[in-house]
Amino acid sequence: MNTARTNDADRHKKAQHYEVLRELGDCHTSVGNYTEAQRCYEKAASLGPDEPGPYVGLGVAAIQKNKLDEAEIAFRVACRLDPNCAKAYAGLAMVAQQRRDFPQAFDLYLRSLELDTDSIAALLGMFQVSCEMHSFAKIIYYLEVYLQMHPGDTSVMFALAALYLKDNRPERSETMLLDLLSLEPAHRDAANLLEEVRHTLAGAI
Amino acid sequence: MTIPRATPDPSDTRRDHGPMPDRQVSVGDGTRGPLVTVLLPTHNRRRYLPEALVSVLRQTYRHLEIFVIRDGGEEVSDIIRSFHDPRVVFIDRKDNRGKPHSLNEALARARGKYVAYLDDDDVFYPGHVGTLVDVLEGSTDCRVAYSDLYKTYCEVTPGGDRRVLSKHVEISRDFDRFMMLYFNHVLHVSLMHRRDLLDKTGLYNEQLNILIDWDITRRLAFFSDFHHVVTVTGEFYSPLGECDRISYQRRKDAQDYLRNVVAIRTTRPPKPWPKMKDLSIILIVDRCDERAVNAILRIWRHTFHPYTLRIPLSPADIRRLNVDMPNVDPVPVKPLSTPAEKVDAALRRCAGDYVALVPDRMIIEEMWVERPLYALMHSTAREGFLLEGATPQCWAAVLRRADLDQARRAHTHLPVEASLAAAGIRVREPKEEELPFQFDEWLRQAKIAEADGNWPTAARLFERMGERFGNQRWMKAAAARAYFESRDYSRAGQLSRQVNTECPTVDTLLLEAKVRRRERDYGTAIRLLAQAEQTLGGCTPVPAHPEAALSLV
Repeated sequence: MNTARTNDADRHKKAQHYEVLRELGDCHTSVGNYTEAQRCYEKAASLGPDEPGPYVGLGVAAIQKNKLDEAEIAFRVACRLDPNCAKAYAGLAMVAQQRRDFPQAFDLYLRSLELDTDSIAALLGMFQVSCEMHSFAKIIYYLEVYLQMHPGDTSVMFALAALYLKDNRPERSETMLLDLLSLEPAHRDAANLLEEVRHTLAGAI
Repeated sequence: MTIPRATPDPSDTRRDHGPMPDRQVSVGDGTRGPLVTVLLPTHNRRRYLPEALVSVLRQTYRHLEIFVIRDGGEEVSDIIRSFHDPRVVFIDRKDNRGKPHSLNEALARARGKYVAYLDDDDVFYPGHVGTLVDVLEGSTDCRVAYSDLYKTYCEVTPGGDRRVLSKHVEISRDFDRFMMLYFNHVLHVSLMHRRDLLDKTGLYNEQLNILIDWDITRRLAFFSDFHHVVTVTGEFYSPLGECDRISYQRRKDAQDYLRNVVAIRTTRPPKPWPKMKDLSIILIVDRCDERAVNAILRIWRHTFHPYTLRIPLSPADIRRLNVDMPNVDPVPVKPLSTPAEKVDAALRRCAGDYVALVPDRMIIEEMWVERPLYALMHSTAREGFLLEGATPQCWAAVLRRADLDQARRAHTHLPVEASLAAAGIRVREPKEEELPFQFDEWLRQAKIAEADGNWPTAARLFERMGERFGNQRWMKAAAARAYFESRDYSRAGQLSRQVNTECPTVDTLLLEAKVRRRERDYGTAIRLLAQAEQTLGGCTPVPAHPEAALSLV
């Protein structure tokens, strides 16, 4: 018997209602209907008690309502159901960040990024937390690695340029901003930052 | 809604000759439409019977008589009484005599022009009866119609509640008579037919213990085409952990299963058959020996097209012939008759449209005669087709009876094969594209591609199948899913939207919603998903894009 086909057949029978509710919850979250999202996630969780997805969704909805304890519980359930759930770790990091526990937030974002190297949410969260901690070396490293794998990602380029400036490397910042503006000439924030960088460079001469 | 006047067909063998009067059929309440009989046999399903019965009583088409037949088991009279609906006729029997008997018992008392069926653990949607009556009373000349159904997978709680996990339309197949002869493709609960057709087909076969629905749909196919309504109008339940009944029966007692299948395949309702061609198989044997008997048994086991088996034998061999099988016609011939003389003797008794000539040393396996027969049915040339495995030393073919008859009359002195050539009837092997079940072979290839993760190939196959063979809704939905898996979201979105405009299902609503969400069209995604959730929660589905559906009217 083909085990893969048997598993597919089982999934075909069991997963549809769960999938509809989870998708609906995600859509409601995307448009800010957090109460509706919560309803959908709760129903999805009852149909898929072993799935982390609904608990991640419940955690996100709770964060939006500023219910941090509730959010933490939901994300921890998701982690328990799936120890490799990158979104759950990112969620826990957001909770820690809201509580201003920046070192823990950074470590949790890092864990999330290790599980999903494409997680822009984790990267940007690390960026925000690093700025709060005024500690840039680690985040610069991870952003550089990400940019190598996703060349031309202007949001990451801008974050790096800002960090280089904060880290007293205005020349590198200028180079990064010029590259960014060659890709997106209309990027106003980049243009403004470039002006600031050049002002810093001029002051240094 | 006024039904257009039907054009009389001189070849129509139905009893009600002449043009049909104009009718006013109100889909909304059906009070002026024909009476429809709904048959609901029940056995040990008290828990689900109320839901099933409610689904019938809530039909928008009201002119019903509803037979609930208790086939032994748990008492249900209290349930029936609680409804106080005069349309319900309750047949309360203590002993369990099987579903065919229960249906026949109710049919003996039925008065409806049409008959529909529901199992005691399934449900109709409110428009089920009205949808099918509309079609049968309308411009179709079909006297049988069927719709699509959801197969609802569910978990059963300890209290007996059914928690819905998924609803899938697993098959949405346009009527295929040849497939129907091979195996059933129309679900019993989706079926509605004219009651007077049963005068021609006969009632349910009470000797069968499984596949009784296939038996009746197969017999109906002798007398009418089936109109396929591509709309989901009900559900049948499939609790997880319960074996599919047919698979279970097949594993439990293979011989009994085969007995049922062969009994069905060898059933020949009384003629005339307006919609079915007949086949005579002339088995050419030297004598009634073990080889001949084995050939007879193999024909009986492997043939699914209706046939009569004619065996030219000497009178002594006819007396020795001891096979208890239906549709066997021993043809007396003189001892030492030549093969051609044997064929001529049998041919004089053939009344059908086609004749297969088979020597008893021929290898007989699945579809041995149906493959070339199908090619012949669809050929417009004056030709016959060799059976698979035929050789110059073991010549076997299927021909039109009229062609064979003409060749034999004109060239009686020649061997059969030579007489056909002399009459200008070419006999050849069928080409691959002339064989039956092309759609099923393509479907098999597409499913292999899916299982291998080759989604682009699967998607293209499904689309081409829809263009070439029909079954459009089914194939579009399958193609949409395959395109989505292959990350061609644009094409997946187009196809799923097309399906959802006319006949949405939970699968296609979910699929289109995922595409719209990727496009950040959250409003549309939410609307589609909400509709899918409503259907899963038990509400009747409506077109997902009603504004587009209106443009189709």
